[in-house]
Amino acid sequence: MSDQVTEIETSGEGPGTAVAVADDPGALVASAGHVAVPDEHGNHPTPRQYVLIAVVLVVITSVEIATSYLNTGHTNLVIVALFLMAAIKFFLVAAWYMHMKTDQPFFRRIFVTGLIGAGIVYGIVMFVFSSTVLKS
Amino acid sequence: MAQTVVATSETDPVVPHTPQPLQTNTGVSNNKLAIWLFISSESLFFGAFIATYFLYRGRDAQFLKGPTPSSTLNIPFTSVTSFVLLMSSLTMVLALAAIRRGDHRRFRIWILATAIFGMTFISGQVYEFTEFYREGVHLGTNLFGTTFFVLTGLHGAHVTIGIVWLLTLYGRSMQGKLGTDKSEAVEIAGLYWHFVDVVWIFIFTAVYLIPQH
Repeated sequence: MSDQVTEIETSGEGPGTAVAVADDPGALVASAGHVAVPDEHGNHPTPRQYVLIAVVLVVITSVEIATSYLNTGHTNLVIVALFLMAAIKFFLVAAWYMHMKTDQPFFRRIFVTGLIGAGIVYGIVMFVFSSTVLKS
Repeated sequence: MAQTVVATSETDPVVPHTPQPLQTNTGVSNNKLAIWLFISSESLFFGAFIATYFLYRGRDAQFLKGPTPSSTLNIPFTSVTSFVLLMSSLTMVLALAAIRRGDHRRFRIWILATAIFGMTFISGQVYEFTEFYREGVHLGTNLFGTTFFVLTGLHGAHVTIGIVWLLTLYGRSMQGKLGTDKSEAVEIAGLYWHFVDVVWIFIFTAVYLIPQH
């Protein structure tokens, strides 16, 4: 392979600003008039994908708010639906914005360990307290 | 061999940057490992307060004097501030994408937008707390007041720390001290900010959206 270096972008910072990649043009991702340089963790989503995720998050939040105003008499069903939508939003932010989809699995394991730990610990606490101390 | 060359400003020399395995004991960035461990421990931290809120939720109904949660909580207003915080996650990730591609002008715009969204959220929370206080709901009024103020107040404190962090990054960028080679500093701040956002997703559902007694 050659050691050719190509200047790709110089906007915004005046002379001297340059982001260039040699010998790997296929790895470049064009977005919004710029060229992204992949880091050592692989390809990250493009800005367009980030915006699409935001639109989905806004739509889900709107549905959540509308659901909270429903007066169906099925309170438990509403609660389950609300937490399901919250979980989807959580997954979208964690996977795409926190890059858990593309980052090293080691970080994902650390995060999931904390979440599972919290779920187990506070699940037990809530069960014990609600069935004993706070039973009334 | 593929070689990436990155220069960040006219004062920075063009330095060849070839991705290499990190020379750490774990093979991953120590800074990122630290923030992920912190976030993991924060899951337990916030889990404690969310669990406590649910444990006491509605249990002191017979002792409520004055305003009840259903008459106090302003869902439309908090929905707007929640949208603002959600959008701050978008601007944060766009700031990271901008600095990674060496676009410092856009990075500053997005990071400042994120901080402004965060300040808007905190302003809304301050307004809400003030309104609650005027309506007679204090930290010690009843179990609702205690669990509500502790849970949302601690989250607000985290957002405030995040705002200071973001403004610090903005200031360092303005001084030319935040080059593309330091994009990991932005990524770490972003991970913290997104975590604060996902915590709010659950607090918003637990405190505001679930039908009150």
